[in-house]
Amino acid sequence: MYFPYDFESFPLGKGPMVMLVLFLISCFFIFAPAEEEGEKIEFWVFAPTHYNEYQARLPIFQAQNPEIDVKLINYGNAMHDKLLTAFLSDFGAPDIVEVEITSIGRFLKGAIDEVGFVDLRPRLENEGWMDKLVQSRFTPWSYKGRTYGIPHDLHPVVLLYRDDLFKAAGVEMTEIETWNDFIDAGKKATRDLDGDGTIDQYAIVLDNKSDSDYFNLLLQRGAGFFEADGNVVIDNEIAIDTLAFFVSLFNEHEIATPVYGTWHGDPSNYAAMQDGQILSILAPDWYLGLLKSQVPQMAGKWKAIRMPAWEQGGRRTTTRGGTMIGITKHSKNPELAWELLKFTYFDTDGLTNRYETTSIIPPLKDAWDAQIYKEPDEYLGGQRIGELFIELASDIPPRYQNPYWSEAADLLNDAIFNAVTEKQTPKEVLTSLAEKVRTIIAKDQERWEKMQ
Amino acid sequence: MRKIKNDGKKCSDYCLFRFYFLYPKWEDWMKTATVKSRYWHQQQKIAPYLFIAPFYILFAIFMGYPLISSLIMSFFEMRGFQSRIFVGFGNFADLLRDPIFWKSLWNTTYFALGTLVLQLPIALFLAVLLNAKFVKGKNFLRLAFFTPVLVAGVFVAIIFNLIFDQRAGMINNEFVLFGKEIGWLNDTRFVMPAVILTGVWQWAGYNMIFFLAGLQGIRQELYEAAAVDGANWWQSFIHITLPSLRPVIAFVVVVSMIGSFQLFDLPFILTNGGNPSDSGTTIVMYLYKNGFQFMRLGYAATIGWVLFVIIAAISIVQLKLLGIFREE
Repeated sequence: MYFPYDFESFPLGKGPMVMLVLFLISCFFIFAPAEEEGEKIEFWVFAPTHYNEYQARLPIFQAQNPEIDVKLINYGNAMHDKLLTAFLSDFGAPDIVEVEITSIGRFLKGAIDEVGFVDLRPRLENEGWMDKLVQSRFTPWSYKGRTYGIPHDLHPVVLLYRDDLFKAAGVEMTEIETWNDFIDAGKKATRDLDGDGTIDQYAIVLDNKSDSDYFNLLLQRGAGFFEADGNVVIDNEIAIDTLAFFVSLFNEHEIATPVYGTWHGDPSNYAAMQDGQILSILAPDWYLGLLKSQVPQMAGKWKAIRMPAWEQGGRRTTTRGGTMIGITKHSKNPELAWELLKFTYFDTDGLTNRYETTSIIPPLKDAWDAQIYKEPDEYLGGQRIGELFIELASDIPPRYQNPYWSEAADLLNDAIFNAVTEKQTPKEVLTSLAEKVRTIIAKDQERWEKMQ
Repeated sequence: MRKIKNDGKKCSDYCLFRFYFLYPKWEDWMKTATVKSRYWHQQQKIAPYLFIAPFYILFAIFMGYPLISSLIMSFFEMRGFQSRIFVGFGNFADLLRDPIFWKSLWNTTYFALGTLVLQLPIALFLAVLLNAKFVKGKNFLRLAFFTPVLVAGVFVAIIFNLIFDQRAGMINNEFVLFGKEIGWLNDTRFVMPAVILTGVWQWAGYNMIFFLAGLQGIRQELYEAAAVDGANWWQSFIHITLPSLRPVIAFVVVVSMIGSFQLFDLPFILTNGGNPSDSGTTIVMYLYKNGFQFMRLGYAATIGWVLFVIIAAISIVQLKLLGIFREE
């Protein structure tokens, strides 16, 4: 067949010809109408462990609801930024999304009616879910009386410790009840083993550069950065006293070592644990899961007790980290999204599977009867850790959420570091921190009032 | 098929056929050329603009629009996701009084200076070394020094986190510097030096390639003539190599400075977001924090524009100093 065109005779040459063809083909794909399938639900997550869990269990949901087509996407760490952009541009937001506890604050800024998540409280109350979940765990996901998410977890904190090394120092950790007991025990266990003048093992590792451990102690005492109504309370007496105690563990009692690396989950920190330089750590349930997957060779070396209390009979746990699931206002199918949400968060089989893979205790009380929580944990030398977590679960302190959490936490990190390195006293750092955060909030308020 | 008289030049029937295929109405146009001459002229005027239009349209959509809207944004502040408030120069005024901004500006400048006085001389040294005749295995070494730039910044940061660790890290364990442990990532004084050293490891080999290319462009006769005149190695380096490399040096310096002022991923991972005490926060990190973590898009846009002005000013000064605007 005679065809007048060949690649070489295209007026601009071969390259542009190929580009033109590719351009036309891609135009076809872009403008071709999308195939009509069933109802689509887009579901964004940021944690690979969650992604794997849901991915494995979605076929069950699809079998029950063949008309719903679920698109599960793991955007990793960039997910919160993507969600923010989607809300800002009013385009491309998912139907359901998981949000991390330190990231939700920024989504609550502005007028309460403009928040991008659906208030789930009416649904939870109508269907009777509210009482089946741990109440205090709604505080991180609620603001001004609305509940924007359902908790994924409780994240109770225990004290993980090296039984062998404490015993070698003559300390029986199960007898510890208060922080004062711990200080006494810690002084015995913090030792220079080879006599070279440097301490070889510290009783506890604490993060002196970020809020994690200090904020945990604060929550344990029922305090926090913000109150439920949004007031800044980081400069109250409890907060100052707690920071003074935190600093004293490093400087006065010298039983704490700063975290090796940037945070507790850093390889350097794991290395120090394996070398026996760290004898204990405040660990939420997910951190135990992390240890199991990152340092499996330490199986059998750790044991867990309740956190030391501030006074006899006081609360012996706290909470660190967390995730919620919420429905966005952009969802065209909130009813279907709600069904999927219940499947991922309230299905006992799924929750059992979650504990098996990540050691995370669910906030749904009905799920706690499962056999798996009563089984001995080999990693902790056969201790029934599930039972301990569940025992602590009802005592989880509230952690009130606030739109200014990101700013507050950023400044809190600096304050803790300055106090531990003794640049300023705990009272000075916290007073000036509270002042700064109040100024930021007041400035916004002033601007908004001017606008109205 | 109509046929046009072939005036004996190189165009064959096939060529003419193609011509018809492309411009079937060519003959008609020519006939009506006088009538339609105005249209023809217009078309001739418009055609070049149409040809360059795709670039300008894409530029306007993907560069012009965001630039202008971010400039506008810097005079506003967001209130939540849906409304914004005009604050005039309020953001700029806040910025001048913001200690963390000044700190991040200083950190960034510190890194840029580190790049200038440490990384680029090392890159030049490596280039001279790998250009010398006596070095064996040049290709392998060039590749080896270049390789770090191919590693993503995140991985580099994770590796160097291990290397800089105060107690378990390689640097403090293998080389006891100044007779004591340095808290590279725990001591506010050493955080930026740690970032600079990591930068040297990652980018020196990359800049070395530019210097190598420059070195290979220097005429060999110059060195021979200098040798005849009795110049030693150092004298030829100072009087031949460096002046001949001036355009390359100018390019590398300006590009590295711009890159330094845009530093983000390396310190972000290495210092876990700038800790401790914002000693590792750079301007772009602070911009990111404000824009995405604090939802202060107006303030972030302001930081972006201030950064733009700083980079532009520094680049112009550098180009002036390096004599790029000088008439040769």
